[in-house]
Amino acid sequence: MKREAQVLKGHLDTLLLATLAAGPRHGYAVKEALRQASGTRFDLPTGTIYPALRRLESAGLVDGSWSVVGGRRRRTYALTGAGRRRLSGDRTAWRDFASTVTSILDAVPCRAT
Amino acid sequence: MPGDLISTYLGELSCRLPADITEEIADGLVEACEQHRARGLSEDDAARAAIAEFGDPRQLAAEFTRHAAGRRTARIMLASGPAVGACWGAALIASRAWTWPVPAGAKIAFGCLLLLVIGALASAAGSQRSYRLTRLAVPGGIGLIMLDLTMITTALLAAPAVTRVLAIAISASLTRVGLGARFVPRVIAR
Repeated sequence: MKREAQVLKGHLDTLLLATLAAGPRHGYAVKEALRQASGTRFDLPTGTIYPALRRLESAGLVDGSWSVVGGRRRRTYALTGAGRRRLSGDRTAWRDFASTVTSILDAVPCRAT
Repeated sequence: MPGDLISTYLGELSCRLPADITEEIADGLVEACEQHRARGLSEDDAARAAIAEFGDPRQLAAEFTRHAAGRRTARIMLASGPAVGACWGAALIASRAWTWPVPAGAKIAFGCLLLLVIGALASAAGSQRSYRLTRLAVPGGIGLIMLDLTMITTALLAAPAVTRVLAIAISASLTRVGLGARFVPRVIAR
């Protein structure tokens, strides 16, 4: 699981952008969307999601805006045009990479030692 | 009391982070508490679980600091230093800057300001735990833009002719002014 967390960290930006593809969400909803979309397998620490969203915002990939919900202020993030372009590039790159790795793994005969 | 647990946590965060980030986390904590309540936890346990999810406030503040826009901006501005400095060094030697009619006091003031600007940017770029220090990227960045503009104006007024080396130094400075104008407002907006 520790190794999986490391790999996941490398794809954090793409996964965060992907959770915003369907529409704007606030930080905790991003975390929940990620958890649910992965069938509760990816339960990222909440403490890494909020700072990462701010970083994506200063990189111009998402846009944060305030609203008032239930009497408290809430910050919601939406993809920007640049964010959408990055996500679509990341998606293509990931599919290429994954299909290459899969074809190599499938080509090598699996032999138990 | 669950409310006390959460306000203590937010109190610790607010000493380290700007008000808007603390407010965003406050909303997240309430949301987390509600989710845990919906899963059947008591009010007290829900607050504890929510806090555990967000982690130690010092670590959370450090994580925000690591991702701060000011840190990135200060790094970009600092990284331009050696190249722009080398261009100006060559240009000033080539156009015999020591013969320019610039008062010694002005030269000393320029040097002192440059050191202050480098100090401010280095503090912002290197800050590991203090979010406040990353905000030094704003005065540092604005200071560097002012110094670049001062150099350009002085060179245009005092140099006998705009040589090719001088033109390169001026364009290097203008590029950095453009970089500053692009990145510093992002830090101010935080």
